[in-house]
Amino acid sequence: MLKKILKYALLIFVLASLGLSIYGWYLANQVEKRFSARRWHIPSTVYSDTTLLYPGQRFNPDIFTKKLINLGYRRINHRPSMKGELQITPVELNIFLNDLKTPWRTRAGFPVRVISGHNKIETIIRIDNGDKIPILELEPEEIMQFFGPERERRHLISIEQVPEHLVRAVLAAEDHRFFEHSGVDFRGILRALITNLRHGAIRQGGSTLTQQLAKNYFLTPARTLTRKFKEVLLALIIELKYDKNEILEIYLNEIYLGQKGSVAINGFGEASYFYFGKPVKELTLSEAAIMAGLIKAPNHYSPYRDKARCRSRRDEVLQSMHRNEWLAETELQIELKKPIKAVGFNVSDTKAPYFIDYLTEQLNAFYRPEDLSSLGLSVYTTLDTQVQMAAEIALAEGLERLESSNPDLQRQAPEQKLQGALVVMQPKTGHILAMVGGRNYSISQFNRITQARRQPGSAFKPFVYLSSLAKFTPTTLLSNDPKSYTVDGKLWEPRNFEPVTEYTVTMKNALKKSYNLATVDLAMKIGLDQIVDMAGRFHFSTPLKPYPSLALGAFEVIPLELARAYCVFAAEGVQPFPLSLKGVLDEHDNILEQKHLNIERLIPPAEAFIMTAMLQSVVNEGTARSLKWRGVSWPVAGKTGTTNDFRDAWFVGYTPDILALVWVGFDNAETIAATGAAAALPIWADLMNAIPQYRSETEFKAPRGVERISVCSVTGLIAVDDCPEPIEEYFLAGQTPAEHCPLHVKGGIAGKIIENAKDLIDDNDR
Amino acid sequence: MITRTIQTVCLVLLTVLLTGCPKPILKVEPAEAEETTPSEAAAEENPRVTAALQLTDQGRRLLEDRKPDKAIRALEQAVSLDPSNGQNYYYLSEAWLMKGSAAQAKEFNHLAEIHLREDSAWMIRVAQQADRIAELEK
Repeated sequence: MLKKILKYALLIFVLASLGLSIYGWYLANQVEKRFSARRWHIPSTVYSDTTLLYPGQRFNPDIFTKKLINLGYRRINHRPSMKGELQITPVELNIFLNDLKTPWRTRAGFPVRVISGHNKIETIIRIDNGDKIPILELEPEEIMQFFGPERERRHLISIEQVPEHLVRAVLAAEDHRFFEHSGVDFRGILRALITNLRHGAIRQGGSTLTQQLAKNYFLTPARTLTRKFKEVLLALIIELKYDKNEILEIYLNEIYLGQKGSVAINGFGEASYFYFGKPVKELTLSEAAIMAGLIKAPNHYSPYRDKARCRSRRDEVLQSMHRNEWLAETELQIELKKPIKAVGFNVSDTKAPYFIDYLTEQLNAFYRPEDLSSLGLSVYTTLDTQVQMAAEIALAEGLERLESSNPDLQRQAPEQKLQGALVVMQPKTGHILAMVGGRNYSISQFNRITQARRQPGSAFKPFVYLSSLAKFTPTTLLSNDPKSYTVDGKLWEPRNFEPVTEYTVTMKNALKKSYNLATVDLAMKIGLDQIVDMAGRFHFSTPLKPYPSLALGAFEVIPLELARAYCVFAAEGVQPFPLSLKGVLDEHDNILEQKHLNIERLIPPAEAFIMTAMLQSVVNEGTARSLKWRGVSWPVAGKTGTTNDFRDAWFVGYTPDILALVWVGFDNAETIAATGAAAALPIWADLMNAIPQYRSETEFKAPRGVERISVCSVTGLIAVDDCPEPIEEYFLAGQTPAEHCPLHVKGGIAGKIIENAKDLIDDNDR
Repeated sequence: MITRTIQTVCLVLLTVLLTGCPKPILKVEPAEAEETTPSEAAAEENPRVTAALQLTDQGRRLLEDRKPDKAIRALEQAVSLDPSNGQNYYYLSEAWLMKGSAAQAKEFNHLAEIHLREDSAWMIRVAQQADRIAELEK
């Protein structure tokens, strides 16, 4: 019987040992796989575009200085002698340039002097040899790193960078026998057990750093015996496979140390910047003790949450260091007296988050999210961080201004607040320089530039006028009389924004003043299908139907597609593909992807120019004329847009060099009680005034196939001497009016008839 | 063009003589007269043009070294600074030819033609380039 029992026990023992071995082997593989992946897990980094500087360039000193600081240049008070140093004086910037490294250009850093006056660069001189530099390229700016699903930034550190006092503080706080045990500290467990029994509650944990790492990596937070067993087994395996320094390095890079808004702070490298604004190697002993103390409960002991609690925990860590003979009594007393000071942080410090979302969508076509988090790619983009900064400021201030001028627009709930969006592009290249998809990314990640579908209102009208250019000219007369239309059996009666007395109006004036009646008249004359076809050529992806209201922008569009469509007018009839990504390099600097300027010819350059000339009149004399007193004195073409009940306000404006679209509205389509000219246009003006480097202030140039003649502003026919307001007008070649103005010919029959008719009307009025 | 102007002036004079109507203000100004390709004078006036010319030159040299991707980057920067310089589009077209893309080469050749039409020497090169693109397309 006994023999039988022993036999069974032996069998069970053998089977259990076998099972455990197999399970251990499985866990060892998991550890190997996870750790080796993690240890070589290099985040991909996203960079902005490079910045060009040249003599004669206008610049915004405030934004430019911020740009240099963001590039990592350190302000000093003497002449720079090392790469990355920057000296600012009232008339010059002395910069020791960092190395420039892009897929397309590399150069070593050197010292330069940028002499400026009146917000303009006068000269750029190479300090080391005195040579004048005609054009200088600054390195791209790091925007973010793909690290984990939250795209958090993480400063990885190597064990060599970690000061000894930080290591000792961490060990004193969490596992002072780390270098003595083999993954599981049985003495520690026993001590914790006794302490907990004595207090009748869990006061002390016995987990080693290795166990914590195992728990973080492989296990759920559930407190069960099975999980504890697995944790112990994993810790032992980890210790078998890796040396102590490797384990410590992974731990220091992985441990959770607090929360920045919705983003977790993991690792001492990132936490050091979050709490103290410096790299780990510069942490003081007191700061190291604070951070080590955080491991236990990061948010509870956070210096941002409760300084007294944080201090008490820091002191515990310092005392523990002293007990372990890692800190002398005198040092302890000095450190204990130090106050708790954190550097302060900005919750939403992610740069250009909406742009990054858009970019990520493009990248996902090539790479899986986990690849972006691990392959160490360098992603180069079209983003200009100076334009992005200016765009964010212009939008934020513009929306605040609107709310303060009209309290009805104020909302308490952050997610219901007045919204706005802005995109800035180079019309000839399609490069997206800046994108602000909403007012506050941490509250709403909905990108109103790429995801919203809004009615464009009058901002759609240019495509109606463009559709007519084969048959009509800017001086063709249109009816601005009220008319009724039957649409799907229903009566539709469009109205002008405000009552007007011009019952006949030239095409150019109709666009300039954004008359609805004349635009619908034009649309009906040319045929709605033709407008739908034209819009299709411009790559609007939203459905546009041949209803008369199409002419007034009643069908929704995606703002980015509207901006792209306007690029055609600024770019001689050519449409660029909107580009956010320029190139992707692997960790060995091999080019994996390249995106170049990609264009498609849509309309003849002459037609594009005629549209620009008409849209310039919108800015010079029409609904966007307020740009002039907002400091915009250079040639601009553009169009305002306002939808029914003031639900959307738009302004799309461009020069030959730059195009920006601004939208303002509520997400739930409530009225904003303001027009595009009142709500969106000022934001556009503020933006353009803040980025003088993008203003060449050159005229739009007429291409071949365009003729300019002087016409009567009333009849649109060739002006005669007595026309009171002759104007210079552009026409497509072959479309110039053939007749002279009959209205202002002295003694002419037509003039007499019109004068008599006028007298008759005046008599009747009296 | 001169013949057309003379014809127009004669027609106007004849009209005035025969009808006694006021003389119409007739200014048919071909838009071509307004356009110039970037010159040194323009460059002196406009610092963007000066800076862009540096990049155009960089792009050209990169093409000589048969580095079309790097050349495209420099030329894109040049276009950003001075979109009216047709040489940039000509070289961009060359770069795409080098990369074997006739479609993009054609688009840039077209832009070069728009911007360089005042310069007969360049127009010959643009026309020759168009022929090479047509060859590639076959």
